[in-house]
Amino acid sequence: MREPEVTYKPESLTASRPLLWGAAVLSLIMMAPVAWLVGLSIKSNQDLMMGTDSVFRFPYTLVNYLNILHSSQVFGWLLNSVIVATGHTLGVLVLSSLAGYGFARLEFPFRRTVFVIVLFGLAVPEQAVIIARHQMFSWLNLHNTYLGLMLPGFSSAFGVFLMTQFFRAIPKDIDEAALLDNASQFRIFWKIMLPLTLPAQATLGIFTFLGAWNDYWWPLISATRKEMYTLTIGIASSQTNFAQSEGLGFLAAQAVFASLPAIIVYLIFQRHIVTAVSGGAVK
Amino acid sequence: MKRILMTTVAALAMGFAASAHAQTKIELQRFFGACDADYGKVTDVSSAVGECGIITSLINKFRADNPDITVNVTTVEWPGYDQLNAQLASGAAPDVVSMHYSAISDYQSRGLLEPVDKLLGTQGVSPASFTDAARAGVMKEGQMYGLPFDNWTMLFHVNMNLMKKAGLVNADGTPVLPTSADELIAQGKQFKEKTGKPYLIQILANETASYTRVLYTFLQQQKSDFFANPKQIKLKTPEAKAAVELMKRTVSEKISTVGLDYAASVSAFANGDGGIAVNGTWLIGDYVAQSKKEGTALANGYSVYPIPQLFKAQDSTYADGHSWVMPKKNRTPEQVQAIGKLFKFLADNDFQWARTGHLPAVKAVFDKPEFKALPQRDNIAKIAQTGRSLPAEVQRQFAIQSIIGEEVGAAVNGDKPVDDALASAESRINELLGDL
Repeated sequence: MREPEVTYKPESLTASRPLLWGAAVLSLIMMAPVAWLVGLSIKSNQDLMMGTDSVFRFPYTLVNYLNILHSSQVFGWLLNSVIVATGHTLGVLVLSSLAGYGFARLEFPFRRTVFVIVLFGLAVPEQAVIIARHQMFSWLNLHNTYLGLMLPGFSSAFGVFLMTQFFRAIPKDIDEAALLDNASQFRIFWKIMLPLTLPAQATLGIFTFLGAWNDYWWPLISATRKEMYTLTIGIASSQTNFAQSEGLGFLAAQAVFASLPAIIVYLIFQRHIVTAVSGGAVK
Repeated sequence: MKRILMTTVAALAMGFAASAHAQTKIELQRFFGACDADYGKVTDVSSAVGECGIITSLINKFRADNPDITVNVTTVEWPGYDQLNAQLASGAAPDVVSMHYSAISDYQSRGLLEPVDKLLGTQGVSPASFTDAARAGVMKEGQMYGLPFDNWTMLFHVNMNLMKKAGLVNADGTPVLPTSADELIAQGKQFKEKTGKPYLIQILANETASYTRVLYTFLQQQKSDFFANPKQIKLKTPEAKAAVELMKRTVSEKISTVGLDYAASVSAFANGDGGIAVNGTWLIGDYVAQSKKEGTALANGYSVYPIPQLFKAQDSTYADGHSWVMPKKNRTPEQVQAIGKLFKFLADNDFQWARTGHLPAVKAVFDKPEFKALPQRDNIAKIAQTGRSLPAEVQRQFAIQSIIGEEVGAAVNGDKPVDDALASAESRINELLGDL
């Protein structure tokens, strides 16, 4: 006897089909520029100069990627970006966690005032302080150093705010119980509270890493020696003067190449990113 | 045995010390891109093509010819002035920097550049060896503040195949080009009628430089002294109005493409979508290459000319150029001498650079048979005499270019009356210059 065919049709899926179609269409629209960029990157500069519609025709080539890889500097720039973005991220995580815990859990004079002052940092754009910062780093001989590239990012007002809010959301009963067991403040922070903030740490870490990876302005004026260039500055410096018309394929390949590490980070941590974007991390 | 060993070590140490001492290091910073993959080791300059290829192989050749001089090259994203400003602010400027003539006054006026006359003199390079247009580009307060390297201008890139179809070709095979504003419009209409395509391919979208360069050209052709006072521009003049009105007519009379940005306009001309592209010297090489390919829109039918004299007063084309400057800093006499050698080498090899399409800065290159043999160069050689930059004392020329481009663009595209646009440009620029 033949068993009846079972088709799984969840009610909610059927009901939301128009929504799914809408989401699919929107996704395609969102993906179109990315697909276009990849298409440009596998066409020769000469073909693209005749017209970008050549993307839809053969032949395709990987010569633009080979030209990137043949540049003697590119892996050095990649390494610089990894060092700077990783160091920047670690610095933000350490400082924001410590500060967040302090503001959320410790009592000290002018705590609220200091917290408000830190929050003012959210309202001050980088452009407003860039000249003073550049001069200060110049006096300290920090330009063209890894520390010089990382330090400005350590003071993340957003990171402190995020971690403070997250620590505040943790019931005080937990640390009070630890206090009764004679745990020190650092032990409470390190062994009990910090592990509970991992979702927030992941969120903050991912956004900080991506921001540091894509940062252009500060490395542009701080890393002026080519061996200290980060990837964003390095590949921009490789562009010929009329890259948008005469080197479009190479330009697109550079953009794809520079995006790859960020895409990899996204793929690895996408669950945390989605949680962060949906606001789940601070609930 | 011990003595032999000691002697060997001492000799080696002295050898290393001597070789370390003999090396003079200079830092060179430039735009033009990086192309190490193709030209990183090329010293045969004649085999290189394009700005990046030629300058890379030129420096390689200089290194090979001068093993006692180390030239460290740093490439920056065009134009690189943000980076240079940061370096100057932190006292870490390179020894030699590529700079547009139009940017020199910004740095020279603040005492950030060294004059190079004496340095060139020690190498036997005379200021008189440069063309008037090139020398004027680097000359400030009676001194040269850079080694002139080239001149570049906007040109008329002509699709001869379409011009033939439009009946705009002389008996000698040269294109019929306008000699007045009215002729420009009339020929544009004839072209459109015969070919169904726009006569002019202009960069009218997402662009400021092109509008400004064309405006300067038309103002110069009317002998308008719009920067009589280098701290104050005058644009509320009949000459400026006539120039912008003409630019606007090319759009309103439908003889020009509209809505094309730089890249689209380059492709449009290559694809034969119009008769004349108003674009720079740097495209000559690419279009010549396309004209040699069968099956392309430009096949055996490309020519290039300076922007025609459309106003009676004088033949003139706005010209800028690239130079090599020396930021002020402490250098050893050996480094200064090494820079002098490099400058002489670059001046001596100006022909190679001229293969990019830019016009030579060194007069003698124009007479070289190799230069004359380059395609199309005869047609545009007169720019060495007719090319004019803004007065040397005018500062913030890049910022001025952006303001004029925005305002003239608004007028040409019909978003603003011409008078309002010129008044607005004048007041914005004078406010900018007033703050200096």
